[in-house]
Amino acid sequence: MWSSSSSEIDFRDLTVRYPDRKAAALCAINERIDEGDVVTIAGPSGCGKTTLCRTLTGFIPGMILAEVSGDVLLGGRSALRARPEDLATFVGLVQQDPEAQICTLNVRQEVAFGPENLCLPGPEVESRVEHALGAMGISHLCERKTTTLSGGEKQRLAIASILAMEPRVLLLDEPTANLDPRGVRNLFALLSKGVPTRTLVIVEHRVEALRALAPRLILLDGGRIVDRYPARERLDYASLGLRGGWAPTEGSESSRPSWVEARGVSFGYDEPLLHDLSLSLRGGEVLALIGPNGGGKTTLLRLLAGLERPVSGTIERQPGSRIGFVFQDPHHQIFERTVRKEMELEHPDPITAIDAELQAARLADLDNAAPLSLSLGEQRRLTIATALARRPNVLLLDEPFIGQDRRNVLWIIDRIRAVAAEGGAVVLVTHDIPLASALCDRLLYLERDAAWIGRSEDVFDRLRERGDAEFTPEAWS
Amino acid sequence: MKTRGLHGAGAMANAFLLFCLVGSALASDAVLVPLVGFAAVCVLALASGERPTRLVPLRAFVVLFALVLFVAQALSLRTGAIVVSSPIRLTSDGLLSGARMACRFLVVLYASALFVRTTDPDRLAGALVRIHVPYRYAYLIILALRFVPFFQDELRAVRDAQRVRGIEVSVRSPRGVLRAVRYTFVPVLVSGLQRVDAMAISMKGRCFGLYRTRTLGAQGARSGWSTVAALSGIAIVGLTVVVWYCGWDV
Repeated sequence: MWSSSSSEIDFRDLTVRYPDRKAAALCAINERIDEGDVVTIAGPSGCGKTTLCRTLTGFIPGMILAEVSGDVLLGGRSALRARPEDLATFVGLVQQDPEAQICTLNVRQEVAFGPENLCLPGPEVESRVEHALGAMGISHLCERKTTTLSGGEKQRLAIASILAMEPRVLLLDEPTANLDPRGVRNLFALLSKGVPTRTLVIVEHRVEALRALAPRLILLDGGRIVDRYPARERLDYASLGLRGGWAPTEGSESSRPSWVEARGVSFGYDEPLLHDLSLSLRGGEVLALIGPNGGGKTTLLRLLAGLERPVSGTIERQPGSRIGFVFQDPHHQIFERTVRKEMELEHPDPITAIDAELQAARLADLDNAAPLSLSLGEQRRLTIATALARRPNVLLLDEPFIGQDRRNVLWIIDRIRAVAAEGGAVVLVTHDIPLASALCDRLLYLERDAAWIGRSEDVFDRLRERGDAEFTPEAWS
Repeated sequence: MKTRGLHGAGAMANAFLLFCLVGSALASDAVLVPLVGFAAVCVLALASGERPTRLVPLRAFVVLFALVLFVAQALSLRTGAIVVSSPIRLTSDGLLSGARMACRFLVVLYASALFVRTTDPDRLAGALVRIHVPYRYAYLIILALRFVPFFQDELRAVRDAQRVRGIEVSVRSPRGVLRAVRYTFVPVLVSGLQRVDAMAISMKGRCFGLYRTRTLGAQGARSGWSTVAALSGIAIVGLTVVVWYCGWDV
């Protein structure tokens, strides 16, 4: 166990280099994070954020092979050669993918897993479990099977299971990625109230979502710290290359015919999810699906793509419609051995077109890399590029912006607008409300017993009236 | 949380029952033992609020496979009295052997399924630790079970992705099998390996392995069903011994 009287973190000339990469993942990092600080680490994809998290928690070089020089002091002690399990009581890491870190089958047991490994007495374990579940607002789920939780519930469980360890430093890697806006607001409200931790380090692309915590910002690029901003400073996201501050994109008049017509569609798995939903996917239009976790957004995309059949109602696809569907989890859609072969699998265009698409997607340097070895953000861009290669006139995108920096988001927006300009219909699921507001022509708000569709402003007005301000763009601007 | 029938029994009692049912079915040469074992599984499943017909997925495939076992044994064993001589020759030994194989298969499958349905793996791991099995090994059970729904979900997602991208996978030819391996099993396997990495980080990040022991979770209230499970196990072993002692082969 890592015993120390303070919880400050001190990076001293830290450099990390992976054996298969030429450039250093982290280069001469010098930074001090004091006890009680709230710090956000942001920067473009591949800038070294996750490497920093893993070095801080001892997984590099403890479990992941890398050449490391310099030092990391935790509470004044050098931690570079410490085992991850020794550091775990000092710094707790909530990983990017909450599903991947759940290792038991029951919510209560998952939260108790860490304290039980610490050999704490039974009543102490129980007390920590109750406290962590309560802090994350999931006490009501305590007897549920972990496999039945929604993405947002899994995210809260992952955080609760680390909180139960009572680490002095809480490290969150993209905590908003799977949470709906209400979940993000609740999470940061809980964290700002003071969870049993003293220092908070958050790695996040959506810096705007963290305003409530008023963090200090550290900007990374190419493995180096390129800038620092004090807490409460208003930021110009665009000039810093950060996500946020989106300018409205120019939509097209939607007088073109519909590619897909859904009429009176009802569907559910174990219980009803969609009820009597009617929807028309018009050519030239971008439609965003927003709403709380578990509201049926992904299910609706699956119905539109023909992967599910409605229990009642009909879904008609026009002759000649070509559907491109990008799943939320990109690795399910990757089949070939290299990035280039993956593109060639269904690309009707000559090699030069593939090269151009890879270049635009910032994947050109990786064209001979194994797709499944790419980062999640890179994999997602690859699946978008391959879906576009089908030249779809109906493009369905499930959370395409997760893990993407501003430049990549702009590329995705550009491609979405290109499909719409050619007469295609685009439907995308996103929790990034300001982005949805700027990009989309219409919105569909979807929750278990309600569905409203209309122009963005009309839907936002209705949400404001109902008191769901977190689903409106001004809550995040 | 379910507490009815074997759901309320202790994990070790359920494990003992499974061991007795499977061991007896495999050890006995008589059809009677696996037949009684299968009946016991069905009765205990009903008492636990589980429908015996729903215990295992792909029921049609299971029944078909049991039939194949029966027919293959019945046709291949030529010793014993001739029961049917035309158009095919079936002997009493062949029929008994076929029935034994099919019943053994069903007992092993259904008893295991009943065990998985009614036993909380965390409690089983706790019970194993209590009998001094090192907890690192006991938790392998939980991790293995954690991956069952994961692989089911992954397989479904990969098949959906194939449909979306227009990739056809058929296993009717050697080339089709290779294509299925490449486009189905490799993505699922790679995904599983990546999941193992993330889970290892998650476990180490919560001090798994820091000490030689760990706090054990609550054992759960003892119920009379632990006794029922244990006595059922002893009864089936007793029947096996009696059948063996009397030399019954039916």
